[in-house]
Amino acid sequence: MVQKVTINIDGMSIRAPKGTSVLDAALEYGICIPHLCHVPYLSDIGACRLCIVEHVVNGRAKITTSCTLLVEEGMVILSNTEKVRKLRRNIAELIVAEAPNSRAIQDIAIRCGVKEVRYPFRNNDCILCGRCVQVCTGRYGVKAIGFVGRGKDRRVETPFNLHSDLCRNCGACIDVCPMTVVPCDGPMKVGEERLCGKCEPKMAFAEETPGFCVWCDLGEGFQCERYTLGVRNQAYP
Amino acid sequence: MTDLKLASILEGRRSQPHQLIEVLQDVQERYGYVSEEAMRGVSRELGVPLTEVYGVASFYKAFSLKPRGKNIITVCTGTACHVRGSKMILNQATGQLGVSPGEMTKDGLFTIEHVNCIGACALGPVVTENGSCHHHMNPGMMRKLIESLGDRSPEDFSHG
Repeated sequence: MVQKVTINIDGMSIRAPKGTSVLDAALEYGICIPHLCHVPYLSDIGACRLCIVEHVVNGRAKITTSCTLLVEEGMVILSNTEKVRKLRRNIAELIVAEAPNSRAIQDIAIRCGVKEVRYPFRNNDCILCGRCVQVCTGRYGVKAIGFVGRGKDRRVETPFNLHSDLCRNCGACIDVCPMTVVPCDGPMKVGEERLCGKCEPKMAFAEETPGFCVWCDLGEGFQCERYTLGVRNQAYP
Repeated sequence: MTDLKLASILEGRRSQPHQLIEVLQDVQERYGYVSEEAMRGVSRELGVPLTEVYGVASFYKAFSLKPRGKNIITVCTGTACHVRGSKMILNQATGQLGVSPGEMTKDGLFTIEHVNCIGACALGPVVTENGSCHHHMNPGMMRKLIESLGDRSPEDFSHG
């Protein structure tokens, strides 16, 4: 029998199986915690930092990523405080400035409440979320690609930038990459990068009920777990 | 020959993935750098995916992926050394040898590197040459140092 623990998220008591992450437990109950690097059923590395929550221990709140935080009995989590929202907005702003050329990134920026981008746009084609690395090592156990270098030189690469013998050309890394989702108005040219913001009106409903999943269209864009799992459940009931 | 060296490094450590960094350190010490060939060998013998070996080797600055010269000259460009003119020393070295920092000279005698701080700020500007430290350097002393090292016959070097 699966052992269950009771945790408290935003004042709501939730029962979750032991060993699951706070993010998974929250999503199961329809609490919206925006996330990007998380891929269902795979181990999380906490790379994108979007799923941050406040974890209250002995009256002191600690900010941490909910995807790498495992549920414990009596845990108190605040997922939607002013502080968390502000930090999350700033992180989303940095990500969209780094790589604006993707619908997934634009959507998550809108979902996190980014209204303007104060940083210069870089038009990079990777945000180092590590989804490709996770899917390659986790689901297929191949390790054909990995993180290489460090700091500003960090990138995803095959060893020595040659085609790896281990790669089976399955294409899973491309399927999960948020950068492969083209912006609605087509790819942005260098010098024309901007915050799309066209979906902002869709956010009105979400803003009225903060912290709850309202099945916003944006979730589909950034491959929110609710959508990927929802679609799968429909396909294989 | 190469394989013999690698085999002696790997002796007693085969199929132990946690020994990866120690093995790479020994490879670095023995060869002066970590070659693609060595990484493939280490990956095969330790049972660690090549991606992981490459990731670790490229992550740590202690590992060099390119061949390095017999003499490794490291110029400190930390704050204290910088304000005392370490840039001029670096320019002197790179100009004299005709290479940019991190590169090896064509004859394989020198590699010029710069680091952010070696922790001897009171003695700055500091230059280390094959592990020994030269304090209160200036471009003139740098020129003489390179000249004296270049004059030594290659047999004097115990490296490699």
